[in-house]
Amino acid sequence: MLLDFDKLGGLKTFLVALVVLVSLFLILPIVFIAALSFGSSQWLIFPPPSWTFKWYQDLFVDPRWLYSALTSLKIAAIVTVLSVVIGFLAALGLDRGRFAGRDFLRALFLTPMILPVVVLAVALYALFLKLGLAGTTIAFVIAHLLIALPFSIISIGNALAGFDRSIEDAAILCGANPWEARLRVTVPAIRHGIFGAAIFSFLASWDEVVLAIFMASPTLQTLPVKIWTTLRQDLTPVIAAASTLLIAFTILLMIVAALFRKGRKA
Amino acid sequence: MSDTVATGAVKTKRESTLGYLLPALLLIAFFFIVPVLMLLMRSVLEPEVGLQNYEALLGSTTYLRVFLNTFMVASIVTLVSIVIGYPVAWLLAIMPERWSRIVLAIIVLSMWTNLLARTYAWMVLLQRTGVINKTLMGLGLIDTPLALVNNLVGVTIGMTYIMLPFVILPLMGVIRTIDPAILRAAALCGAGKMQCFLRVLLPLSLPGIAAGALMVFVMSLGYFVTPALLGGTSNMMLAELVAQFVQSLVDWGMGGAAALVLLVVTLVLYAVQLRYFNPARGK
Repeated sequence: MLLDFDKLGGLKTFLVALVVLVSLFLILPIVFIAALSFGSSQWLIFPPPSWTFKWYQDLFVDPRWLYSALTSLKIAAIVTVLSVVIGFLAALGLDRGRFAGRDFLRALFLTPMILPVVVLAVALYALFLKLGLAGTTIAFVIAHLLIALPFSIISIGNALAGFDRSIEDAAILCGANPWEARLRVTVPAIRHGIFGAAIFSFLASWDEVVLAIFMASPTLQTLPVKIWTTLRQDLTPVIAAASTLLIAFTILLMIVAALFRKGRKA
Repeated sequence: MSDTVATGAVKTKRESTLGYLLPALLLIAFFFIVPVLMLLMRSVLEPEVGLQNYEALLGSTTYLRVFLNTFMVASIVTLVSIVIGYPVAWLLAIMPERWSRIVLAIIVLSMWTNLLARTYAWMVLLQRTGVINKTLMGLGLIDTPLALVNNLVGVTIGMTYIMLPFVILPLMGVIRTIDPAILRAAALCGAGKMQCFLRVLLPLSLPGIAAGALMVFVMSLGYFVTPALLGGTSNMMLAELVAQFVQSLVDWGMGGAAALVLLVVTLVLYAVQLRYFNPARGK
């Protein structure tokens, strides 16, 4: 009764209304920011008195925004490659290995994901200060790799768990050496897991704020750090423009992921 | 025959398995375990050997207020997220797929939207001259703008906005696994709607509620960005305190001590979650 949609009775109206309200609550702020980024009001008056591309112009004219976006892209790209490769190896080791402490290792690899990120940020900041690496690209990559790696290990690990290993063994039997078999048989078979690992790793780095705040220097900032420092000064509509571009980018990634999933089913 | 083949292949791989784990292990050891331990060491070594940092941290009312506030914010956000998220997850689990798909897409979009973009949206919406205050004044509900930002209200709204998907998605999964026949049986036996809900549906979804609540609570405890932007100076949270010790005060001893408190609370709650609410362990 309570789990039959058509037999909810009066409850149905209440629940549907609530779901609509929560959906609006979740989507409206995003729509609102996108609308404001085209509004002419410096003070973010809504509805805007008129429409303009001014804030986007400001964004593209200021080399610091562009530079920070490129920095983000570069770091996220390096992190994605490293995370997928190291994550693939680790997932393979965990999947194939039969040794004591395997569950412990798996839990250890995932810990950076559940730890308060500020603790990790402060600890790494201290270490990199000592090593003279503070404010470098290497520092950024290592910090982001730590939180991207769990996504790779989970995503590729799940794919490996669903992969029938005897196919790989068959390839070896037919004369392939183990790595040839893995790269030409296993990797194509678990490509959806690898693709998922790449997307999540990229986003983990691209959107990351807290580690980035501590890793950044005045000359090396990612896009989130640039937004953060600007945000602490004022609520300029330029941030609305930057946010809208980020949102558009996210939607694009979601569509790519959805298409990929569809292609997998077909 | 296949048995011998399989064992043969396993044998060649078993020797190199640990090698595959090495890059990840080295990364975790050198850039996770070592720096976190170093930070915790500094809390008892700086400025001099001893527990003075912890005495200062736990003995002062200023810091005690930060602890209390952290727990209060995390509790309120968890409670609000569950109360709103549960009915949403419930309906999503049973409504026709063509509708639930749209709602799910909205939830995923909001989850994937940059954290700063979302927080910025709420800073603009909630400010004194923001849309919400303007609307309320336009409707004649209030005469002067409400203070919705730089206080507890702002943090609660901003964090609930972020945490809701983390409650809705797992809860929806749990409710989907409940057999509708059980509720039909309860109704057949004469239970009213209220009784069906309180004595059948709610108890059956309790593991999901507990797991979701614990996860949101732990995540909220260590949150930094949203409280820093939407909260006020009078309701600072623990993560902000850690950052402030290190960034503004350059006091690594106190920073390490505050980080340890946050770390211990998180790990204890995480252990509770693993012990009691791990889906892999069964019910």
